[in-house]
Amino acid sequence: MTTSQPASKRGRWSNGELPANVRLGENTIVTADYAFKRFHSVRDPGLTVGDNSTMDGVHFAVGADAVVKIGSFCYFTNAVVLSEESITIGDYVVIGWNATIADTDFHPLDPAQRVADAIACSPLGGGRARPLIARRPVVIEDDVWIGPNATILKGVRIGAGSFIEPGALVTQDVPPGSRVLGNPAQIVGSV
Amino acid sequence: MTVTSAGRSIAGDWYAGTIPQNAVVDETAFIETSFSFHMYRSRLPTGFRAGRGASTYLGTMLDVGESGSVSIGDFSLVHGARIICDREITIGDYSLISWNVVLMDSYRLPRSPSARRRLIEGMSLSTRHLPPGGDEARPVHIGRNVWIGFDSCVLPGVTVGEGAVIGARSVVFEDVASYTVVAGNPARLVRRIESTATTTDDAIRRASAS
Repeated sequence: MTTSQPASKRGRWSNGELPANVRLGENTIVTADYAFKRFHSVRDPGLTVGDNSTMDGVHFAVGADAVVKIGSFCYFTNAVVLSEESITIGDYVVIGWNATIADTDFHPLDPAQRVADAIACSPLGGGRARPLIARRPVVIEDDVWIGPNATILKGVRIGAGSFIEPGALVTQDVPPGSRVLGNPAQIVGSV
Repeated sequence: MTVTSAGRSIAGDWYAGTIPQNAVVDETAFIETSFSFHMYRSRLPTGFRAGRGASTYLGTMLDVGESGSVSIGDFSLVHGARIICDREITIGDYSLISWNVVLMDSYRLPRSPSARRRLIEGMSLSTRHLPPGGDEARPVHIGRNVWIGFDSCVLPGVTVGEGAVIGARSVVFEDVASYTVVAGNPARLVRRIESTATTTDDAIRRASAS
């Protein structure tokens, strides 16, 4: 039997009205009044979350051109998702408290460019364009577990089923099924 | 120890919650906000204990499962830690825990992706999608007079000895010996501490006498 889900069964944000370009699947819950305080994506959809996922206290800090896709049966607690380009997360991904996923450097590495960026970002910036900032997509495949206080930086692909220990700082790709720990993160074995 | 009535609300609390019935909080202890108990669901007779002069500040989260118990010793200061507990986490007297520290006795969900899938599917059927207690929890014991720097993680099964110092952003996978400094991710021994007072007991006597 196929029937469309009643509105009450669709995904919900308990603390306000969802931005129009956010799509939540069935039985997905989003909490925290700050969840979309820094959600500036103008893409449609700018954020997609699949079915049966839990986004408990997650910050979605998403830039104008960025697109974030999160699969089904994901469980995030107070993670920080910072995107200026593209963050793609598979199904059954668990992300622990205060973990950070970022696909951007936020500011230029070059000191002179950084001065220009500081001015552009300031109250005196007057709409000045910001310099180019390094950004590369992040992909987190199915069944990945990311511990609390871990950090995943730009350009990283984490292979399916990998286990990222708490506090790890991941700057390079992780093959599927790896156990990773440390700063910088090292592969120390398999799951 | 004198115990404040469990179930009370806290004066000046920004969050409209209460201290749970099975929490034993000394009347001289300071709990800044009842929001610290938002994730607390222990069903043990005593699921939380805070000793004489202990304090938990804003941002401290007691993420305690149904079979978990957390104990914070006399004069200990927890300044915004995430305490993830499915069995037992104890913090000794006079210990200082900084902000964004994670103390966890459980990974909560199984390591095997297939077993984890089944658990997550079960969680999604409940109203708040909360995880059940982790079967493989291993107690964490923080000794007396321990100092843990900000952003550090102490992982399941770890015991930290009396008087030890854990540097900021450390991730502690193994036991820490008494009167040592560890730092790094993963944490390594940096040096041993030559204390002016040989033991915490001596230090307490000196501090009380002055």
